Formats: sequence, C-alpha cells, structure tokens
Amino acid sequence: MFITKRALPRRTFLRGMGATLALPLLDAMVPALTAQARPTPRFGFIYIANGVIQNQWTPATTGAGFELTPILQPFAAVRDRINVLSGLSHLQADTFGDGTGDHPRSSAVWLTGVHAYDRSRPGVEVKLATTVDQIIARRVGQTSRVPSIELSVDYPLQSACDSGDCFYVNTVSWRNETTPNPTETHPRLVFDRLFGDGGSAATREARAKAEGSILDSLGAELRRVTGTLGPGDTAKLGEYLESVREVERRIQHSESQPVEIELPERPTDIPDSFEAHTRLMFDLQALAFRADVTRVFSLIMSRELSSRTFASIGVPEQHHAVSHHRNDPELIMKKAKIDILQAQLCAYFLERLQAAPDGDGTLLDHSLILYGGGMGDGNLHRHSDLPTLMAGGLGGAFKTGRHLSYPQDTPMANLLLTILDKAGTPLDRLGDSTQPLSL
Amino acid sequence: MAALAVLSVACAGTVIARAGAPGARPSPEAQSRAPQAASAAAPRLAPQPAATLTQYCVTCHNARLKTGGFVIDPASLGAVGPSAEAWEKVVHKLRSRSMPPAGAPRPAQAVLDAAASALEGALDREAAARPQLGRLPLVHRLSRTEYQHAIRDLLALDALPKEVSVDFLLPADNISSGFDNIAELLFVSPSAMERYLDAARKISRVAVGDPSMPVMVNIHRLDPEHPQDERVEDLPYGTRGGLSVRSEFPVDATYAFKVELAAGAAREAHEIELTIDGRRVAAETIGGGAGRRGGAAAPPEFRVPLTAGPKLVGVSFVQHTEARDEATLRPRMRSRGTQPAIASVTISGPYDVTGPGDSPSRRRVFVCRPASAADEAPCARRILSTLARRAYRRPVAEADLQDLMPFFTAGRAEAGFDRGIQRALERMLVSAHFLFRMERVPPGTPPGAAFRVADVDLASRLSFFVWSSIPDDELLDAAVAGRLRDPLVLDRQVRRMLADPRAAALATNVASQWLYLRDIEAKLPDEILFPDFDETLRRAFRRETELFVESVLREDRGVVELLTADYTFLNERLARHYGIPNVKGSHFRRVTLPPGSVRGGLLGQGSILTITSYSTRTSPVLRGKWVLENLLSSPPPPPPPNVPSLDTSAAEPEKAMTMREAMARHRANPACASCHVRMDPIGFAMENFDAVGRWRDTDGGSPIDASGVLPDGTAFTGMPGLKQQLLRQQDQFVATVAERLLMYALGRNLQYFDAPAVRAVVRDAGPRHTFASLVAAVVKSRPFQMRQAGSE
Repeated sequence: MFITKRALPRRTFLRGMGATLALPLLDAMVPALTAQARPTPRFGFIYIANGVIQNQWTPATTGAGFELTPILQPFAAVRDRINVLSGLSHLQADTFGDGTGDHPRSSAVWLTGVHAYDRSRPGVEVKLATTVDQIIARRVGQTSRVPSIELSVDYPLQSACDSGDCFYVNTVSWRNETTPNPTETHPRLVFDRLFGDGGSAATREARAKAEGSILDSLGAELRRVTGTLGPGDTAKLGEYLESVREVERRIQHSESQPVEIELPERPTDIPDSFEAHTRLMFDLQALAFRADVTRVFSLIMSRELSSRTFASIGVPEQHHAVSHHRNDPELIMKKAKIDILQAQLCAYFLERLQAAPDGDGTLLDHSLILYGGGMGDGNLHRHSDLPTLMAGGLGGAFKTGRHLSYPQDTPMANLLLTILDKAGTPLDRLGDSTQPLSL
Repeated sequence: MAALAVLSVACAGTVIARAGAPGARPSPEAQSRAPQAASAAAPRLAPQPAATLTQYCVTCHNARLKTGGFVIDPASLGAVGPSAEAWEKVVHKLRSRSMPPAGAPRPAQAVLDAAASALEGALDREAAARPQLGRLPLVHRLSRTEYQHAIRDLLALDALPKEVSVDFLLPADNISSGFDNIAELLFVSPSAMERYLDAARKISRVAVGDPSMPVMVNIHRLDPEHPQDERVEDLPYGTRGGLSVRSEFPVDATYAFKVELAAGAAREAHEIELTIDGRRVAAETIGGGAGRRGGAAAPPEFRVPLTAGPKLVGVSFVQHTEARDEATLRPRMRSRGTQPAIASVTISGPYDVTGPGDSPSRRRVFVCRPASAADEAPCARRILSTLARRAYRRPVAEADLQDLMPFFTAGRAEAGFDRGIQRALERMLVSAHFLFRMERVPPGTPPGAAFRVADVDLASRLSFFVWSSIPDDELLDAAVAGRLRDPLVLDRQVRRMLADPRAAALATNVASQWLYLRDIEAKLPDEILFPDFDETLRRAFRRETELFVESVLREDRGVVELLTADYTFLNERLARHYGIPNVKGSHFRRVTLPPGSVRGGLLGQGSILTITSYSTRTSPVLRGKWVLENLLSSPPPPPPPNVPSLDTSAAEPEKAMTMREAMARHRANPACASCHVRMDPIGFAMENFDAVGRWRDTDGGSPIDASGVLPDGTAFTGMPGLKQQLLRQQDQFVATVAERLLMYALGRNLQYFDAPAVRAVVRDAGPRHTFASLVAAVVKSRPFQMRQAGSE
C-alpha cells in the first residue's frame, strides 16, 4: 500500500497485488474502534475535470435498480450505497460575456454556485465564496487534528490558462471569498500533514511544543505590527494571523488527541503511474478517516485543462485535448476510457470505506462522498447536466441506491444546500440555489 | 454623401474590404469634413489631431452607432482626465494599428501617429497633474522563487537537498499574465502556514549544521526519455549518461549514494563511477560477470564520508570507446539504447555524523563564537542582529531581538549554543518581517495622497525586481544612510545590481514568465510525428532562450535585438535540429548565424515555436496570438461565446484541406474574421517551422505558403517579412517590454492609468532602448518610487 524506502522490489510487488492487499494492512494499523454512540460524519469531495461522455454516464432508468452505464459500471460493488443525480447544472459557470475561462469557472463554481470573474481584466479583484467543504469543516472539523485537507493528483497549473486565472483550476476549496486553499500532491507531504513526519512520539511532542511557542510569539508579533503600517490594504497580514491561530488550534488538538495508530512507513516519492498515485492518496485518506485525523477532504483527481496522458489504457493523447472530441467516435471512446478509469479509482476508495467497520456500520455508511465536476459536456464547454454521484448515507441522512433525475437545469447549488443542511451547517442560500433538493 | 455611406457600412462591424482596398487611403470627401468636426473639438488638443480623431474614430464610435459597444464623446477631448480610460484605449488601438479597421477610411500612418502623440501628450499631462498609482497592498508576500533566493542570500544555501528544497516544501504560487509575483494572488492560508513552519525548521537545521538532524532521502530520477549516450554537462570527459546534482551536505558525515538502473541489463561490463566536485571517489563494475555481485546488474550503493558544504555529485558510466553510440545504432527514438542507463540516484544521509563541519552557511551564520559562557548572549545577539537586518531588510530594532532571543535561550538550555541559534533562526524565518514585504504609510498622510516610499522599502522593491531576492549589505547601507534618494546613486546601484550574477533571476523570470517559456515543460509533441523530440531537446530549447535573453541583458543590447539578433546559443543537439553545421559537444556556446539565417531572434527559436504549437501540428492562430499578445501587447479579444474554437483541440486537422484552407473557411465567419485577420497572417509567416521548430518546405506534401496580408493591406512573406513588419512596429514592441517589466517590478496587473508611466519608461530609457536602460527607467518611474495612501 505504501511506497517505502525499499523502493523498487516492494513497489513492483504491490503494483501486481493491486487493491486487495491494502485492506488487511489497513485494519492491522488501526486499533479496533470502540462502538460509538453517534457515528462521526465524514465528508469527501472528489473532482473530475473536462466533463464526461454524458450518454455513457447517465443511466436510462431512474429510481432503485437503475441500470449501470459503462462509466458507472465500476461502482457495481457499492451500487446500493450510491445515488446518481442527473439534470443538475451550474449555470453560473457560463461565460456572461466574461471571456474564455470555462474551465477555471468550472472548478470555481463546483462547491460555491458562484461565477468566477475573470480577474485578468483590469480592475477585477479575486472574489469567489467559501466552499461547501470549508463551511462543513468549520463545524465538524474543529475537533479533529486536521480540520480539512485539500489534495490533488495533478500538480497545479503553472502556465497560461484560458483566461489567465490559473488559481481557479488549481483548487476546488476556498477558505473564504478571497483565499483559495493550496492543494497537496506529494504523498509524503500528505502523510506529514496527516500523521506528522515520522519520528517517535517524544520527538513529535517536542516538535509540537516548539511550534506552539513559535506560533505564540508570532501571534504577538503580528498583533504588534498590524495597525502600525497606516491606512492601506493589510488583508494578507490578517490572513496570516488567522492562519497562525488556526495552526495553533491544530497543534493543541494534536497534543490532546494523540493518534493511537500504528503508522505505515512514510511514502518517499510520487508513484510513477496515475493509478498508483491516486490509490495512494485514497489510502492515506481512508487511514485518516479511520483514525479520525480529519473528517473533511477534497481531492482533485483531474484538474481542469489537465494535459495528462493515459498510455496505460490506450489514450496517449492529453486529457483536455481528448475532451474536445468534436463527435469523433474514436476520441469519444478515449474520453470514455478516461471517465471509466476515474470511476474505477473512486470506486476503489468507496469499497475501502465500505469494508472498514465504523461503529454500527461501515465508514461509508457514515460518510458523504460527492464525486463529479463543474463541466457536463467537455466538448462544448457546457455546465448543464453535470456528472454527479453521491456515495454513503451520512449515518442515515440519505437514502441510497437510486438514480434521481431532476428537471433540466435544476441548480446544482440546491444539492449543495441539502448537503449543508444534513451536515448540520444549514444556510438559507448558496450561490444561485433556489431551494433544497429533495432526495 | 458617398463617403458617409461607405462609413456607415464599415461601422456595422462587417469587414467589407480587406487588404489593399482603396479605403486604406483617405478619401478626399472624408478629409473635406474635417474642419467642420474640428470646430466642436478640444482647445487643449491641437485642431488637426482632434479633427483626425473625430473623423476617423467618432464617426463610428458615437452615441448613435455605438460600434463595437465603444463610444467616444468628442467633447471630452477638452479635458481627457475623466475619460482617460477610453482615450488610452484609443491610443492603444492607434499605436497597434488595429484601428481604423480594414475597409474603413484610413489616413496616412503619419496622420494617425500625430493624433496618437497629441492624445498621449494630453493624457501624460493629466497624469502628471493628478497621478494615479493603482492599488498595491501594503503587505506583499514573498513568492516561492523570492523565498528561495532570499534563503540562498541570507544563509549561503544555494543547493538545498531535494527533500528540504523550497520547491518541495512550499506550495506553488499562482500565475497572472505569466507572472508569479502578483501581490493579490500570493495567498496565505493555514496549510501554507504549516508549510512555512516546516520549511523554517528544516532549513535552519541545515544552515547551522545540526548534528542531530534526521536522515534525508533525496531521490533524483532521470527522465526515461533522456538519452544517456552522451556526456552530461558538468561531468568529467570520458563519461556518458547519468546525472550531476549540486547539493548541500549539511554536516560532516557519511552519505549513501544508491544507484538504480533502468531496465535493460548489460551483457558486457559497465563501470559506474561516483564523482564529488569532479573527483572520482568510488566506482563499481556492473554486468559482464565482473561485478562483485557475480555479474548481475545489481545497482551499487556507495557510502562515502564527506565534509559539510555544497558539492557537485556526479554519477555516470565510464565511456566504452568501442561502444557504438545510441545515435548510430538506431534512429533517435524516445527510448534508451542497448547500453545500461541510470534510472535514479538516491542520496541519503547524514549517517555517523562526526560534527557540524565548516560549511559556507555556518560561516555566514556564525559571525562570532562565544569565548566564554558570559560571552554567549552578546554573541547570539550579534549573530541574530546581523541575520535579522538582512532577512527583514531594514535596521533591526530591540523589539525584533526580543522576539528572537527567547528562542535562543530555550535552545541553548536544551542542547547548547548552536541549537539556540538554530531555534532563533527558525523563528526568524516565519516572522512577518521576513515573509512579507511591508511598506508603511507615513503618519498624517491624507487618504489618496501620493508619497515616496521609504528608502529601505525602495531598496527592497529594487532587489526583488532585479534579483528576486533580498537587498545585499551595500544596497541596504545606501538606503539606511539616505543616499538612495540621490538619482545618481540609485542609478549606480541599478547598474551594479544588473552586473551581479544574481540578476540572472531577472533574465530567467522575464524569459520564463513574460514569454511563457515554462510552458515548454508541459508540451508533449507526438512521438510518431516528431520522433526526434526528447528531453535533451526540450532542455536545449529552454536553455537557448534563457541564455539568449540573458545575453541581451548582460551585454546592454537594445531589446529590439530580441527579435533581430544575428547570434544565438547552441549545442550540438540543437544545432543538428536547426541544421547548423560544425557545432560539437553538449555544452552551449554563442554561435554567430550566417547572413540570411532564419534562426536569429526569439521567433526562430525552437522553444517559442514549440510552445505555440499543438502536439501534432503547428497552429498559425496560436503563433499569431502569441506574437500579438506578448510582443505587441495587443491580444485579440477572446472568441465570442458558444463558438467552439476549432483550435483548442489537438486533434488532427481535416486531412482533405490544407491548414490554410481550413482557416480561410473559419475566417469566412464574420464573427471570427475580425480577430483572425490579425492573427492568421502572422502565423502563416511562421509556417516554415514545424511543431517542434524544424525547418520545412512542405506540409503533408503541399509546399508551404508563408505569405500573409495584414489588416492594413501590407503583404509580406515568411520570417524575414514578419520581422520587417515587427520592426515597423518596434515602438509598440519596446512599449510592450516596458509594460511587462513594470508589471513584474510592481507585482500587480497594469491598468489604463499606468499607460503614462509606461510611456515615461520608454522615453527615459533613451534611444537605444537597452534592456538595462529600461530596467533603470522602471526604477525611476513614478509607480515604482511612490505609493498612494489608502482610504481606510
């Protein structure tokens, strides 16, 4: 499961073994959890880019016992734990005369329902909205060591984007309307964030103490500096102070709630295949859920405009290029292959959660995983009929096992509103929502 | 009457006539209307320019026709201030020659230029009277690149081991218009905070040579597409393949070097050697039954004791002189040959630490050693004051030391003097004074008032502009002594800094950010169509452009030479790609190109030609857009909504048509035409270069037609013709360079009210417009030296 310092032989071995090996290992690492009175809710938001081949995604029949389409086939083992929702749209990602940034707007709108204005136009400033994962994390995450974690299998885009606003595609998680959360791609950094970078308990404790005193002193420094600069924009300093406080809180939590699990070896490198990299990210996240290190995550499995190629499944072309298939049957087939691969990897994670006992059920029973993206038809850059799949019942809050079809262009934000409601963080409105979605 | 009819048709937005149409010259009827219009126009603007503007612009862009949604009120020519934004747009359209549009009446270029100059004069006078300096936050976080350079200059750490390298430890920054130092986009978040804490701890331990630091595992992988049949630059002659890594070894200790081989075991013996700073320290033979592992191609692991400090590590094969090289055995495909190749080298350690050693970073940090216990605190204060002055880029206050000294005391009590310094340094590296450039508004400044930034703040602006790093002692001393206000001193400092090796950051950032050079890393030219593209070529592309831009900067050449130079930088691989003979070996050298060579200047470079292509073919549209946007600052507007842009897909072009035919069909759509008439001809002129920048005379069997016609009717052919056209617009090119430099220097996007400052930079830079003179003029410019107090 984990890439170790004994790199090659073990890695080769593991690749051959695939997913089946991981679970027993995982179970061995986590002490049996005592039965809890109320299960801890967990949330995951998994983003896929550049749309999907919609007629190979959307099931023909609705309700329970819907037929699994080619792209949804990988979810067969957990089909009674998922809902497929069709007809939902994020029309706030439409252009509104605001340039070509359809891809940046897709990731920006996904968890906000808010139109991302093209900042490269003179005078337009960064302004989006707090994303759903962060609203939830602010409540359910506050008592876990890491309130939320933001992951991406693709590295952030560092060059030209459609509109010049790359930061919109590089994350789907915004802390507030002006601050996107950066994502972690390297498994070692993910490991370090979640579990600390190894060493004995004593070293970790000493570290926490040292960092605590640094943050304490830094907080005092920032309070002293703020206000002495004079009239002007000092917002970044305020954000820094807020970040200091937040990390202070995290360290206090980690001191009061030591992780009592046997840790696997730290991963040393990024696995050389997309599949192995994604599985490793999911493995780490499943472990973090089990150990209750974090309860909220977002993960970009593919980043909008991604130029990743998938030679292993016979798609040597770049993802974004293939998504503009212009109805060429071969390119459609190739995009569908990518969609299926992504579904397989998501299903892998869901199966992991389903196999992990948690209180009176499984981790999946008590989780809500949203899988989808802000682009429906990637060829034409449409934000209608978005690929949307929910997994897990969130402790009975959602009935699962159905395909639900909604009237064309029902705001996706309505679903987000419902999720917020069930998460215990209700809002009256979110983005362009009109009312909670009934499901 | 006839003229009016023509005008109203032209205003409807449909291009009725193209190149060479009679409308390109002013019609007598149109000219006869001029005096009438002038009577209603500006007292401030001379009658003739005002008449030109009224006649050729307002005829369409008036409140009745609202052509293109853009309206000019001719009455506002009286006082341009309130309409400065609209008038700057007019200036830009005139200077970029994109207005009047093709088919509309157009006077002689000199008439338009005169109108533009008069308008600029009025706008500049307005800006001088009421300067607008834009909204620049008081707090500007260091970008990741700046942080990395600051660490290098503060702690003499220029080759941090991979595991503690800044690129690994800190999240990547976001880019705007190519630049990664835009204040607004340098976000701060709790997860970034955790990374800063982590980086501070790890880097401070390396800097002081902490003997108790944990073992690092640094994996250096070689790209599978990187051929290993040639000597790697920096490695000894007589070797082939492998890699060279410059890396800091933090303490005196043993380090392990583990080599992993790529698949393809050798039947014959191959010797792998490890060199440190060019000296062979270990070697082992693999394969051929000669190795101590009995002939298996088992990867060797060398364990070597080393002293602390930066070293050049080389791992390579000893060249078999009798072995045929890969290039003769096979056409160059993207795989390795039959010889064994190195897949990765893992450097781990330290093991068996013998002491902190005497590294450059320790010498930089420990400016004193305590002679006695009583001497410790004063010495610590001295060390920390020296570091903090550089890190915080200003004189150190007692309050700063009060923040730092408790960490020294705690660390001292825990594990001695060095640990105390390390702890205090760790604290310093997360201080807001280090991580943020903070500028102060002098007390009592009224809201909105413009003021000169403090001298130490100017020093920081200057060093982050030219070096992407902190000021050095000389610059800071000049600022603290108040001498930086003296224009002569300031100018001397700029020249000194440009001559310093650290100014390479400016050339690299300009090349990689302004020119989007770093996009080359993401390009994946099709393997079948371009079999000889590989990682070596990719690197060579990038290196050529970087060296070329740096040469223009260092040799004080005019920036126009970026387009016209008769030299470039090549190694054998790149020269072969370009078909230039007699360049041997893997090292880059300056090559003077023969007269009439197609390669001189940026547009003939493989890097630019490749980043403006798709993986399977060239794109005249992308190339045209790149030139308009980055060389002439005149980007076409985005395609209209709901028109799927043909060229965003990298699929194969329709085979039945040539590229040119397919594009002509696209231009037949009027909504597409207005922009494509500007982009396409530029791209066509570059069609003799394929998608990886190789010269070609045919494409898919048809001869290349590299001719094009600009919207103003000028016909030209091929790269020489294109260069000529660009030289006709060299003022626009120089203004573009000035604009990008100013944006980079300020760390914010420019707006219409910055245009007067850009013009001032161009004027102040002198007639030759050398790179250095433009940099100096940016430093002198009002937005660089001043700031406007906020309103809150």
